[in-house]
Amino acid sequence: MNTAEEKLWNYIDGTCTPAEQEAIRLQLEQDTAFAAKYRELLLLNSEFSAMELDEPPMAFTYNVIEGIRNEQALQPLKAAINKRIIRGISLLFIGMLSVILIYTFSKVSLSTGGTGINLFAKFTVPNFSKYFTGPVMQIFLFLDIVLALYLADNYLRKKRITKTDISVQPGVQQNDH
Amino acid sequence: MIDQTLAGDQSAYADLVKRHQRFVFTLALRFAKNREDAEEIAQDCFIKAYRSLESFQRQAKFTTWLYSIVYTTAMTSLRKKRLDTDSIDNENTFIQVESQNSSFDTNNAENRSRSFYLNQAIEQLLPDDAMIITLFYKGEQSLEEIGQTMGMEPNTVKVKLFRARQRLKEKLERNLKHEVKELI
Repeated sequence: MNTAEEKLWNYIDGTCTPAEQEAIRLQLEQDTAFAAKYRELLLLNSEFSAMELDEPPMAFTYNVIEGIRNEQALQPLKAAINKRIIRGISLLFIGMLSVILIYTFSKVSLSTGGTGINLFAKFTVPNFSKYFTGPVMQIFLFLDIVLALYLADNYLRKKRITKTDISVQPGVQQNDH
Repeated sequence: MIDQTLAGDQSAYADLVKRHQRFVFTLALRFAKNREDAEEIAQDCFIKAYRSLESFQRQAKFTTWLYSIVYTTAMTSLRKKRLDTDSIDNENTFIQVESQNSSFDTNNAENRSRSFYLNQAIEQLLPDDAMIITLFYKGEQSLEEIGQTMGMEPNTVKVKLFRARQRLKEKLERNLKHEVKELI
């Protein structure tokens, strides 16, 4: 059961049902003590509404924007670069390192004292030097450029789609325009 | 403004900050109790809001979303402070603050306005009570919106608002009585 004060606050806030509202209105007309309490709460309500907001320091907005800029400057590079580019570069490096390692091991002959043991005696490695000719290098570089263009195109396309999604959002509630 | 900010226009966000900074700062002050900490909380809120602006769904008002960030940030800061000092988790501290304020300001009693006494009484409330009162009277927030901001049911907010108003009334009366005695 609501107390008289609670009923009156609900009446002042307009959160009670029409029936309750009517009942309170009638009680206000008949009960002087109840009406006095109502006037007291109404006065208090207007005092609360007149509450003043505090003013932040002058440089507040500037400090917020500076804080955002500092945070963006500290953002790691990996967050700004497309992951596919990183993966492509790492794959390229892994491939190149594998080729160099295989080529090196094929040329090394491990021996102990008089009896030499060639670990790769039965392992025939293709002669890589013949593959690094002019045309092969040209094809290699060409493929690299194609890969770079493909990744750049993909990145820019994604960026454009995100921008379009933001600007065309139907039926959104615009509260701060 | 939100769309412009999302498109990378930081001056649009600066305008958004200017528009809401007074209210956000006031809310932060309800928890921090000193201007330096409140400023830090309020700045942190705007930086967090900027960072997660893309996740704002626009189903609720921007202010409701922003004030919920203020509430969680301020609560986290308050908890951290409580762990540091281990002493501000009961109303006794607020009573101490109250008595400090009263004795500190006795010489200027005649210059005080009603709004001064009201702000003084609000400072003596528990942070949750002060937040509800501020959101309801100055934030133009409905009980449902306050519920969304503070993670409560609207009915719980209604009950808490009623109790907060009662406590505020008591504190206001007590402070005014104290000042009248001082003047006599």
